[in-house]
Amino acid sequence: MSTALTDIGLMEGVTEAMNGAAVERVSLGEPEWLRERRIHAWDVYERTPMPSTKLEEWRYTDLKKKLDLDSLRLPETEAAPDDPAAWPARLRATMEEDHEASGHIVLVDGHVVHADLIPELAEKGVILTSLHQAADEHAELVREHLATEAVPAEEGKFAALNAALWTDGIFLHVPKGVKLDLPVRVTRSYTESGAAYFSRVLIVAEANSQVSYVDEVISDDFDEQTFASTAVEVIALDDSQVQYVALQRLGRRGFYQSVQRTLARRNSRLDTLNVAMGGSVTRVDLSARLLGPGASSDMLGLYFGDEDQHFDFNTSQDHEVPNTASDLLYKGALDGKSRAVFRGIIRVHAGAQQTDAYQTNRNILLSHGARADSLPNLEIEADDVKCSHGATVGQLDEEAKFYLMSRGLEEVQAERLVVTGFLGEVLAKLPLGGVVEKVNRVIEQKLSQHS
Amino acid sequence: MSDAPILRIQGLEVQVAEEDLPILKGVDLEINSGEIHAIMGPNGSGKSTLAKALAGHPGYEVTSGSVEFRGEDLLELETDERSLAGVFLAFQYPVEIPGVSIANFLRTAVQAHLPEGEELDIFDYSDQLIERMTMLDMDVAFAERHVNDGFSGGEKKRNEILQMAMLRPKLALMDETDSGLDIDALKIVAEGVNKLKAEDPEMSVLLITHYQRLLDYIKPDHVHVMVDGRIVQSGGPEVALELEADGYKVFEDAAAETARA
Repeated sequence: MSTALTDIGLMEGVTEAMNGAAVERVSLGEPEWLRERRIHAWDVYERTPMPSTKLEEWRYTDLKKKLDLDSLRLPETEAAPDDPAAWPARLRATMEEDHEASGHIVLVDGHVVHADLIPELAEKGVILTSLHQAADEHAELVREHLATEAVPAEEGKFAALNAALWTDGIFLHVPKGVKLDLPVRVTRSYTESGAAYFSRVLIVAEANSQVSYVDEVISDDFDEQTFASTAVEVIALDDSQVQYVALQRLGRRGFYQSVQRTLARRNSRLDTLNVAMGGSVTRVDLSARLLGPGASSDMLGLYFGDEDQHFDFNTSQDHEVPNTASDLLYKGALDGKSRAVFRGIIRVHAGAQQTDAYQTNRNILLSHGARADSLPNLEIEADDVKCSHGATVGQLDEEAKFYLMSRGLEEVQAERLVVTGFLGEVLAKLPLGGVVEKVNRVIEQKLSQHS
Repeated sequence: MSDAPILRIQGLEVQVAEEDLPILKGVDLEINSGEIHAIMGPNGSGKSTLAKALAGHPGYEVTSGSVEFRGEDLLELETDERSLAGVFLAFQYPVEIPGVSIANFLRTAVQAHLPEGEELDIFDYSDQLIERMTMLDMDVAFAERHVNDGFSGGEKKRNEILQMAMLRPKLALMDETDSGLDIDALKIVAEGVNKLKAEDPEMSVLLITHYQRLLDYIKPDHVHVMVDGRIVQSGGPEVALELEADGYKVFEDAAAETARA
């Protein structure tokens, strides 16, 4: 029977580990509304076919080859204690670099094991906590926003899977008028090889608030394919300013899958940065919706691949009302046999006049085996707009390398400097402070491991 | 000024890499420590190729001959090793490196020139950079700009001189440093070279130029004429003046004659 069902796209991706019983288990002890939401999501998952390369959006990432769902287990590791001494070495090292913060969240193997927040921010009503805990303690807020408007299960196969099986995540709520000077830092560490992890991020910035959120995913290399799925929902209400930064530094054989959606209300500024350095496969579906006049989103991306790393960025910029702006810049350097796909669409909805929307993807290839495909797209249903898109794939400039080497730099140093400069253009655009240094360090570390 | 030869080029033949297209057809040249030499020649004579080949440009292949630099086989060295050994090429067309500040780039370069295991003291470096920029009448803010990115022709050439001033080479190869410069910019650049030369009289300079004009500001000890991949005449500064008066035609005709014979 199951053969017949999967033939028509039903029940695909239902495995020994991921099935209805697993959904029931994960929802044990949770409020009824949440349990229902998970069951609904699972239902959507079962009814949604696994994306295939026949779909334009998945043309260059063949899940049949890249993802072995049947081999994945749900993590068995007990939640680690809130004690750095018990954390993986790499997590401790990363944490030590991040003293300056409004607050921290640490997740180990999908569970929040630590949360802190500057006391005066807590007094002002800022909430930074485990999503699981927030579902109890701040049920109203979470219930309103979790997997409803931003990333509902209907969004796609992986959004549904995540909404059904998430174990924990981050809830950040910034009340009206509260501005956080320092970024909120989240560090997630994954240790169990062969596991499938599901977590979520829900950020709600009320009117006139300001926050920068930096989420770093780390692991050592895995022995077997390990799946890290994240669903990210960011909601910026009127006149707020929000910056979401995701740093992906998984070890090899990590499959990083992230569905991100940002909702920008009137006069808000909602910027995102995705930095992808690690993992074997990276798939990011980022969608920015500009929902109120005066709203704007800068969407930045950086990736650096080597060996057989595969990156696939699928973005959309939806201008749904008049007078909104978005500006996307994704830049990547690719060495070895690594590969990057960028597919982006600007959609200017009917009546969304005075839209300013730009989209640029630039790639630099450092080897003959590397490859980049860039597919920018426009869909414009209004006539008074400024839109442009551009894509380039180029080789590392040999003259630049010679120039630097003629000043005494070794070949790898010369390459590194050119690549750092190339990628650095993106960082120069980050509006809120406290992040550039961090990202620079991440790039440096990748480059030094690489050579 | 000592008489020890710092550079000895013998029978150097160079072609464009992977193309059987000879450009230098047997160049002999000797430069002593502290001397200023000029190579003049018409477009396409091979004079820039000589500069690039000496710096180790991957686009050129040495097919025959030898180059000794301070007693060492220069051709055995990689481009970066040649820099560390004391060779500096001031580019005709300095390359733009977007996103990399001059200060950062130079710090990396100066660090590379330190003996193995020695760490650059960042405060010393800053002091030195400011001192050099002041010497060259450059605004210190210039160091924050990205290497040659959006620079005018004059700014690019001054940036070359700044790098030279920081790296203090023993042999400076100046490839058409005068090209694309107006007379004021040319004077500034020439003055920079002269200051560095005054600071270190042992530094040797090889000027590569099409025009006599540069030699009004940087006085060569020896002038060579290169035509069709060979040095066809060598002499004192008077050679440049003769060229200014008579042009290259007489040499080109003679070269064509040789080629036919």
